[in-house]
Amino acid sequence: MPPKASFTREDGLYHSFCGLVSVGWLYQKIKDSFFLILGTHTCAHLLQNTLGVMIFARPRFAVSLLEEGDLSSSQPQIADQIDEIKREHRPSVIFLLSSCTPEVMKVEFEGLAHSVSTPEVPVLFVPASGLDYTFAQSEDSVLQALLPFCPVAPPDDRRVVFLGSVNDAIADDFALEAARLGIPVAGFLPANHFHELPPIGPGTVIAPLQPFLPKVANQLVNERECRVLSSLFPFGPDGCRAFWEDLAAEFGLTVDLSEREAAAWERISAHTELLRGKKVFFAADTLLELPLARFLRAAGAEVLECSTPYINRRFHSRELKALEGVRLVEQANFERQLRSIADEQADLVISNIITANPLIGRGVVAKWGTEFIFSPIHGWAGVNTLVGLFTRALRRHAQLDPLGLDPVWTAGVMPSAPREVIPLQRQ
Amino acid sequence: MRLAYWMYEGTAHHGVGRIMNSMRGVHAVFHAPQGDDYVTTIFTMLERTPAFPAMTTSVVSGTDLARGTIRLPETLRQVEASRHPELIVVVASCSTILLQENLEIAARSSGVACDVLVYDANPYRMAETSAADGLFTELVKKYASAQPLTTQPSVNILGPSSLGFHARHDLIALRRMLQVLGVAVNVVAPWGASVDDLRRLPAAWLTIAPYRELGGRAAEYLEAQFGTTALREAPIGVQPTLRWLDALVAGLNTVAARLGAPAVTLPPLTAFSLDGMSAPSNVPWFARTADMESFAGKSAFVFGDATHTVGVVKFLADELGMPIAGAGTYLLKEADWVREQLEGYVSDEQFLATDEFQTVAARMAELRPELVCGTQMERHSARRYDLNCMVIAPPTHIENHLLAYRPFLGFDGADVIADEVYTTCTLGMEKHLIDLFGDAGLEHPDEPVEQPVAAAPPNGAEPHPQATLAGPALAVAEMATPTTVAAPTVLAPVWRHDAEAMLKKVPFFVRGRVRTNVEKYARERGYAEITAEVLLAAKEAIGA
Repeated sequence: MPPKASFTREDGLYHSFCGLVSVGWLYQKIKDSFFLILGTHTCAHLLQNTLGVMIFARPRFAVSLLEEGDLSSSQPQIADQIDEIKREHRPSVIFLLSSCTPEVMKVEFEGLAHSVSTPEVPVLFVPASGLDYTFAQSEDSVLQALLPFCPVAPPDDRRVVFLGSVNDAIADDFALEAARLGIPVAGFLPANHFHELPPIGPGTVIAPLQPFLPKVANQLVNERECRVLSSLFPFGPDGCRAFWEDLAAEFGLTVDLSEREAAAWERISAHTELLRGKKVFFAADTLLELPLARFLRAAGAEVLECSTPYINRRFHSRELKALEGVRLVEQANFERQLRSIADEQADLVISNIITANPLIGRGVVAKWGTEFIFSPIHGWAGVNTLVGLFTRALRRHAQLDPLGLDPVWTAGVMPSAPREVIPLQRQ
Repeated sequence: MRLAYWMYEGTAHHGVGRIMNSMRGVHAVFHAPQGDDYVTTIFTMLERTPAFPAMTTSVVSGTDLARGTIRLPETLRQVEASRHPELIVVVASCSTILLQENLEIAARSSGVACDVLVYDANPYRMAETSAADGLFTELVKKYASAQPLTTQPSVNILGPSSLGFHARHDLIALRRMLQVLGVAVNVVAPWGASVDDLRRLPAAWLTIAPYRELGGRAAEYLEAQFGTTALREAPIGVQPTLRWLDALVAGLNTVAARLGAPAVTLPPLTAFSLDGMSAPSNVPWFARTADMESFAGKSAFVFGDATHTVGVVKFLADELGMPIAGAGTYLLKEADWVREQLEGYVSDEQFLATDEFQTVAARMAELRPELVCGTQMERHSARRYDLNCMVIAPPTHIENHLLAYRPFLGFDGADVIADEVYTTCTLGMEKHLIDLFGDAGLEHPDEPVEQPVAAAPPNGAEPHPQATLAGPALAVAEMATPTTVAAPTVLAPVWRHDAEAMLKKVPFFVRGRVRTNVEKYARERGYAEITAEVLLAAKEAIGA
């Protein structure tokens, strides 16, 4: 059993998005895919407002819109829409995503997907409803749906499969680094195309690149009997060293990356100088929080609290161990976080995009966590970007003229704003 | 069921959020799954709110449903404890409304002391606009109380709201004009209004409600219930503003006469200018200048909400002398009103009522007007078809939330709109020269390379060129033909080399239109190929 890490669970009254936002990067990652969400006006409005759909002339995702007349039938008809999608987008695979309303209607999704699936263009059910999934979590569902399409590798195929979607540049970095260390690579899950999925079998070592994929990792163990690397996630010099040394060990290779790690720290010393002793509060919701907090602590910052939507004792065990002594909170209560931020005088708050501006308005230096999801922060090559995301907010704040919290500079901006600003941060 | 890629209007709960984020001392609680909280981002990022918007999602999870727990009472208690609102509005989501829970009972069981209104916004029957207007009307009915009129002439301004199109600027423009008239503002709502302000509404002599989408019904209620005259015209353009001022003064003076108070008089019009001594608007002179001769014959296509579509069509036609190639609205409930208002400006064939952006884009591609006035989606489609576009109606993009004073209403607004038209269209003497010689060193590659939209999505993130895994932060544009847009040509005639070479000599900014027109000409006459002769014939026949 993994060690009993200590964290508290609150009531989940915090700000966040639902799992459908994962579509934003997955449809771009899997280039011959189409994501069809069975949902409502709300889902469409969410996607266009959080994914910046305006600029995408031809997004490979759409909402099959449940309107009032559709609510009475428990099994919606989507065959025509599937035909339309095939005609216009020619995808190799269609992911059918659930959302809250059809979940409440008890739509039988497996059957629905099956009824429109063909061997040529499979339609795969992906649970993503906001009733059960948050933010990056539904990537976990998408990868589970893809798993049956990964060829079965023979037991003597001893290679690594990297787990989690990263962009091509990062993927190249990981493939090169593995080759340098003598680690044979079978591929990436997900791959850029549906038919390029890597072979996975009992000899495969799964190396998770993203911390929000515990379910598919578990499924890989159960269904393909492969090993899942238990290490730190490859963020920051400390994370990269542990990740690669542990991965090499899986292949019987002993490597010492201490010098590499030291050099990486040295290269970002101007940043870590700034971070040393800074009090940082994680109130974000991307599910990257644990490894980011661990890195920041290693960089010399004091992590006051690390809140994250979900913690998985097994999948996150190494990160949890590295975070011992830090207050960890699952399903945080936002008002309580605000009180803690004020009590403990955080220097930097890693927040949700929803709350960033209001936090800044109350005198806090806030960095919105979503940016970490969309930036190349993995691996040795990502170290500089990673640390820069933390220090940019601090530097900018220090560089601008002191504004104080004189409400004169925000007067009239927000009609509902209280007439007085109650600072969270003492000036 | 239909496939939706993008929608003009937001959801009902977004409409509720717009009212609640406009008012002081109130709070919205969404009885909804976590993800419905996304609407809060639209406020915090587009409006760059320095405080927390007054909205909380009382999370409903799969586990809650399985266990039959309802967290609403506890959320209401937490909201009351932390935010001390005078009123909490509870609204169900598209999913929780199907659960048919009695939210009234759940809310009452919370024991909170403030007012709680469970707003019955059925998200399958109401979208953003009707939910916002419906809630606002309900609140006005709930709180407005009979009372004596103010001693001095005063008005209410109903309609400006959070995420209203240039609402903040319009409000400044209205206040400026009222100040010049010496008329006090009794209450502005929902923008900045408290529950107490709603109670004071009937003290005003008159109500100004310029937006068809929000505030009109409340103004009508005040008129019916308390006899407060409603002025419902939108002063968009110089002539409408003059008429609006006359109506305003007349309305106030009716009350003044009844009260035996001194009459309100219209000061010299220069008093309405920024310095009090200049023309109140530069539009009338500007429209008559030699410079603007080059505008003659430039056609416009206008598509948006009800208020701005009507106001802008009339302004372009009446005050700038532009032909209107077509107009329409996505607010289907207002389509009849818009149609009626535009009688004499557009024919039935030129009028479009649709909430599918693909249909609008196809119409634009077909008409190829010199100017498109639309929402941010039309701006996007216009880029696709190499058309000039300005945004005149919501939904907006972060690019539409600029800092400087840019009203659409009043004399100030007329100048703002005219400037926008002028800088959006290709203009002036320069244009004549380019038309004549076909080149002024401005030549672009023949196929317009579509640039990624410069700005980020509404969440306002900055682009990261180094990342290819793009999401909201990135706005890395994937540009391709929207296949869902009905292509204007089904069978495109083939361009022969000689015709293609001739086409290249046409100035680049009208080349697209010429190409479309010639293809249409060729299709209509059954030519499979476009040769130099066909091109010449087409130019003669249709002036392409």
